[in-house]
Formats: sequence, structure tokens, C-alpha cells
Amino acid sequence: MTIHDPELQPPPSPHEPIELSLARLLRIGSLIAAVLIAAGIGVMLLGNEAVATRLITAGLLALLATPIMRVITAGLIFVREKDWRFACFCLVVICALAAGILLGQGHGG
Amino acid sequence: MLLQTLEIFLIAITAGVFGSMLGLGGGIIIVPVLTLLFDLPMRTAVAASTVSIIATSTGAAVAFLQDRLTNTRVAIWLEMGTATGALSGALIAGYLNQRFLYILFGLLLAYSGYNMFKTRKNELPEGVLPDRLSQKLQLQGSYTDRQLGKRIDYQVTGTIPGLIVMYFSGIAAGLLGIGAGIFKVPAMDQIMRIPFKASTATSNFMIGVTAASGAVVYFARGDVKPMIAGPVVLGVLLGAILGAKLMVRLKTSTIRKLFIPIIIYTAFEMIYRGLK
Repeated sequence: MTIHDPELQPPPSPHEPIELSLARLLRIGSLIAAVLIAAGIGVMLLGNEAVATRLITAGLLALLATPIMRVITAGLIFVREKDWRFACFCLVVICALAAGILLGQGHGG
Repeated sequence: MLLQTLEIFLIAITAGVFGSMLGLGGGIIIVPVLTLLFDLPMRTAVAASTVSIIATSTGAAVAFLQDRLTNTRVAIWLEMGTATGALSGALIAGYLNQRFLYILFGLLLAYSGYNMFKTRKNELPEGVLPDRLSQKLQLQGSYTDRQLGKRIDYQVTGTIPGLIVMYFSGIAAGLLGIGAGIFKVPAMDQIMRIPFKASTATSNFMIGVTAASGAVVYFARGDVKPMIAGPVVLGVLLGAILGAKLMVRLKTSTIRKLFIPIIIYTAFEMIYRGLK
């Protein structure tokens, strides 16, 4: 554990740090989900259940897509930075997620 | 109906606050509340809880990423373990004795709970030497601790053992549907020696991905009921944003003290499920 040592800082990157790109993506994803779900609950209070269900479902789907988009975006950022090792790691995660989804649906529940 | 929505919403806020502070999914609150208090079927509760894990993760991660508490490189390295583990868990489901697994994972949790209790007063890990792989992958990190008011630079060790534990935590998630974050935080804290706040923030970042494939499957099966999952997700999102803001200002030892009873409780619950 060392306290602030300027010599240990990584060299500045021409692009913004990956953290900020991913933070922006997650903020947009959660905002879209929150707005759609809140609108859905609002419509439900007005008594239109069919429209409410659709709005909430759309919001939930937006939320579901966010972490998957996050892994893909991180992978693309690593490709841009020519960090092939971490780009590969992201690819492994994406493949495992995709296989998990296909396998789960195959079971049919 | 209106009252029920409001009640679910308020409880979900609480789950979001605690889940985001501790790097957990919050299923420990959501599932019993929905099944016992609201008398909903287990499948609906688990599906809503799985979707809400993504809400906890997404809501809190924005603040944690901006504070640099999340170690994205560590997260992506370890996600390989959790994602392939969850897949293996789904593949071998049905071939393994679940009772045995509950007891095994329960004992593992009890042991890490005991370790966490021993180190409960430590604010930051000391004298951590990075292993060769950690240096090669540049897993070290730094963040500004708002509570201590200084920048913390840290090294990471146990790169391979950490990945192996994540693989098994992924199996537990895929097979038993539990343990979004409860295995991840102790593994990063105790094996990889990452500062506790960075461990919970990084766990928080990862749990959304762990939950994603499960959530898609529940969704496709129609287990996600919009009228239940909607207010849960909205509440958890709000709670997670609040919890993240609160967490960065808390002392590490405070967060640890909140974590210890939850890990002990979960350990006993799992052992009980294996024995009964």
C-alpha cells in the first residue's frame, strides 16, 4: 500500500478512461429503464393496464441489455487500445453469456 | 394493488441501498419479502430478484466508476470465471447432489465470514506484493477515498486463485441460483487483497453481468412479471444510486461490519438447506 506516487501513474491515454465511457453507457441504460418503468407505473395508476405492461416490459428489456452492452463496449474499447489480451477476455465472457442464454432457453423451463 | 406497488417499491429501495453498499445483489431481501410478505410464487420472486441484481449493479456502478472505486480490469478478468462457471453450473445441473453443494458452499462462506471477522478492524490491506500475472495484466488500481481524504494506490495478488474461486462462485450462481456477490467480495478481499471498498464496488460491477444471462432466460420463459418486477427494479435503481453515494463516504470497517452478519446468516441458511 503506497500513498500517492506520481511516478507510478500510467502514461496518459489519448482517449478518455474506460471507466468514464462505461459509466456513461450504464447511466444511459439505467435512465431509459427508469423512465419507461416509471411511465408504465404512472399509466397503471391511470387504469390502462395493457399499455402499462408494455411500457414496463420495454424498461425491463432496456435494463437487461445494459450489462451485455457493457461487456461488448468494454471489448471494443480494448480493441481500439490494441489491448488484445483484455479484448479476448471480453470475448470469452460474451461467448459464455450467449451460450448460457441459448442453453437456458433450450431447457424450455 | 396500489398499496402493494408502493410497499414493494419502498422495500426495493432498502434492498438497493444495502446491495449497492455491500456489492451484493439484494436477493437476500427481495426473495423472502416477495414470497413471504406478498405471497408470490418462488419463480416470480427469483425472476424479479435476478432482474433487480442488474438494477443494483447498473445504478451503483455509475458513481463507483466515476470515483474509480471499480477496478474494471480485475472485473473483466474475473468475469471470465463467473460467466464460464455459471455456464458449467447450468450444464452439470441434475448430475450433482445439491445438498452436498449447499453444505460445501455454506462451509466456505462460514470460513470466509470468520476471516472477515478477524480482519474487521483493518481499514486497508498492507504490504501486498503483486504476483507476476497481476503485474503483466496491470491489475493494480488507485482511487480517492472520500472518507480518508486521500488517494489510495493498491496492488493485486492471487490472480489465478481469485479466478478459480470466481469460477466456483459462478457454478453456485448457475446451479443454486444464489450468491451474486457473497462469494465475490470475500474472494477479492481475502485472496486478492484488494481494498474492501474497491472489492465491493468491483463485485457490484460484475454481478450485473453474472445475472444477465439468467435474467434473459427468466424473461423468455415469462417468469418476469412486469407488475412485480417493474416496481422492484425502479426502487432498487433508486436505492442503489443512494447507496453508492453513501458508501463512498463510509469507513471501510463500517461496511465490513454490515457485511459480516449477512455472510454468516447466508452460510447458516445454506448449511441448513443442505441438511434439512
